[in-house]
Amino acid sequence: MKAFALERLVPAHVRAFEAYVPAPPDDVLLRRFGVTHLHRLNNNENPLGPPPAARAVLARRDAGEAALYPQGDGWHLRRTLARHFDLEPEQVILGNGASEVIAFVIKTFCEPGDNILTADRTFAVYEWMASFSGIEPRLVPLLDHGFDDVGMLRAIEGRTRVVFLCNPNNPTGSWWDHARLARFLAAVDGRAIVVVDEAYAEFAEAPGFPDSFALMRQHPNLVVFRSFSKMWGLAGLRIGWMAASPPVAAMVRKTSISYSVNLLALEAARATVWDLAHIAATQAHCRAMRAGLAALAGRLGLEMLGGIGNFAMLRMPIPDTVVHRRLMARGVMARAMTSFRYAGWLRVSFGDAEAMAAFAAALEAVLAEG
Amino acid sequence: MMQRAAAPAEPVTEEPALRLPPGPRFAAVGAEFVRGAGLASGIEPRLAERLALIAEEVLAAAPPQAGLVGLALRDRRHAVRLDVEFTSTELDLAGLDQSRVRDLEDGEDVGLYLAARLADRLTTEPARRGGLVLGFELARSYPPAPSASVPEALGPLAGLPVDPDDATLALLVDWAEAVGEGGPAFRTAPRVLDQRRVGDLFARVALDARRRPVGGIFWQPFGRRLMALSGPALLLPEGDARQALAAALLEAALAALARGATQGLVVLEPAQVLPGAFEVVGHLPGAAGGQHPVLFRAMEEDPGGIAWVSPGLSAWVTAMVRRLGLGRDIEAPPPPARALGAAMAAETDRAAARVTLRPLLAAGDAAAVAERNVALFRGQGFAQIRALLDLGQPGHAAFAEGLMRAGLAPAALIPDAAGDLLLLADGA
Ligand SMILES: Cc1ncc(COP(=O)(O)O)c(C=O)c1O
Repeated sequence: MKAFALERLVPAHVRAFEAYVPAPPDDVLLRRFGVTHLHRLNNNENPLGPPPAARAVLARRDAGEAALYPQGDGWHLRRTLARHFDLEPEQVILGNGASEVIAFVIKTFCEPGDNILTADRTFAVYEWMASFSGIEPRLVPLLDHGFDDVGMLRAIEGRTRVVFLCNPNNPTGSWWDHARLARFLAAVDGRAIVVVDEAYAEFAEAPGFPDSFALMRQHPNLVVFRSFSKMWGLAGLRIGWMAASPPVAAMVRKTSISYSVNLLALEAARATVWDLAHIAATQAHCRAMRAGLAALAGRLGLEMLGGIGNFAMLRMPIPDTVVHRRLMARGVMARAMTSFRYAGWLRVSFGDAEAMAAFAAALEAVLAEG
Repeated sequence: MMQRAAAPAEPVTEEPALRLPPGPRFAAVGAEFVRGAGLASGIEPRLAERLALIAEEVLAAAPPQAGLVGLALRDRRHAVRLDVEFTSTELDLAGLDQSRVRDLEDGEDVGLYLAARLADRLTTEPARRGGLVLGFELARSYPPAPSASVPEALGPLAGLPVDPDDATLALLVDWAEAVGEGGPAFRTAPRVLDQRRVGDLFARVALDARRRPVGGIFWQPFGRRLMALSGPALLLPEGDARQALAAALLEAALAALARGATQGLVVLEPAQVLPGAFEVVGHLPGAAGGQHPVLFRAMEEDPGGIAWVSPGLSAWVTAMVRRLGLGRDIEAPPPPARALGAAMAAETDRAAARVTLRPLLAAGDAAAVAERNVALFRGQGFAQIRALLDLGQPGHAAFAEGLMRAGLAPAALIPDAAGDLLLLADGA
């Protein structure tokens, strides 16, 4: 080969983008940090795992079926979800995790020169997917650790195609109630697609939490994301979904990837819908762990931030990235929040009681070192 | 207020470039091109002339098998730079190693050596298509700034620190210089503006309610994945407001760097310690005796990595890895594939009488080459000798033994999961 000028073939926005590098697998981490066990409190996973019906589905699978393609667009699961939320099956689109659905939406509505709007301190993937797609992410700073509706409305302009709200917000747990979201949608008045990422909605116990599917009937520009990774304990199978008004869903379907959700994920997810006992048990677990964490924060004199969700943040007196490393060396994985623009904060998922106890002991020891 | 994700710094103009066959026959053509293109682009004649000499020496020294040699002139505003691109990866760089000149028999390598000596800074980077780019940089000089008078009653910080416009940044630098705040990075506004314009410096400036600068913080590229932090320069008197200002500036810098390519912030000459915000990753001897801490702030979680460490350093690195809580597989490096021809690049800062050595090419004679480099620069009167080894590169470990034999000692371990930087220093 004479002249393979790779750089010439790659768009500037891809060249400029820094690839995300996930953490290595546990066996590598165990060796590097010299520990024999790692408590995972970094990914907001559900320690209760999937509900019983989903477990049963997974246990029954015949390995030979791995040779067959799944049905291509989640026919049965879409109908199950639609029935439960009073939607048409065509309004539901599945993805390989809610993460993939973000890409569908950006591809559907944005072209170079357009921008998306989100917060500076929220789930990173909206910002990343826009950046490496050549779409400018515009970031409105959180106000008092929550999405700033006034600031976001002010920032919408002619080339704003999608507004991403994270409700409840990862990592602050802050949330807008139904009335506030309704007012926001009224003010946006159809000028842009409004995505409400409700990956943690099932953790909400407050009565004022939005019924976004109802709002969608008045606001056809509203798109709702949900995930099976958090409440439903299926993070390892990678499945999430979105719902939108019929015309919006029909557009997004064009850019969605058929067959991207695997057989096991489709069937396990269908079996979870909508196990109220599992939701109640998980919520009770989160309540207990949140109370325990608050007690720890009080004892150590740390500021704690949280709202809805299976996680909370603690403000460290030393760099969060240092605490992260030292916790790793004690077998506990939490999330350093500098990369979420929360320098000095640590996010902790509500793992099982043993993991939370290990976290508490390790954090106390780490902070005692100074 | 709205933030925008940082865009990559684009080159300011189209840059003049040329490709020529290697060897003495075209050396004068290359020199003429650099001289002419330099003058046409408005580069100071004195600097254009020096770059032309460098081009001539490098072309003349390039061996026939080097293939076409690319010359590109870059106006970095605060510096001018000649990039020489070799497409062949088989280039013998030994001639760039300043310590080798006494052994050299043939004129070719002497030419490369001379070129290296003419530059204020020599960098080496892999070329886009394989091969190597040698960057010869000459610093532009700036007249000293006339002393500014700083207003008496600057107010406390109002709002979030901003990415300042030129006028605000210049005012901050003038005032910081007038009161001796912030350290050498905060000297002469025109230079700082030039550095920023070409993406070699980034700034956040805090303003008071009347939009006057009350403090600033800078960061500049340090190696491939890190930034060196300078400042903060604080124009408020001692007290709570000054402390809050320092914290706000640091927070703004961290927020600006989050989700980008930067893995961490290093502070080699702390003007002001921000308690709690950094960790101490080593100590450097100061120019006036004594020691000062080397500070570090990681931007990302460190998922662990490999550190290639020679036997003589393994106790120090192991202890440091343990103290910092790093997850590292500490491995003994395999012997270098090449027997001979190791080379180091030297970055000299003549004003500070400091030289920093970095491995260029690993080979079996790395230790001897390292030792000779240290001796050479000591002989030239450099008071501070430092070396930076990338522990992610197995080949770099071989240089360590020679550096230690020459009297350098490990001073700091700057964590980076993709390759920790080991800083060695004279008398550390
Ligand atoms: C707010 C938010 N949205 C989406 C996702 C992605 O979820 P999934 O696992 O379904 O891709 C996450 C996962 O952390 C999240 O926190």
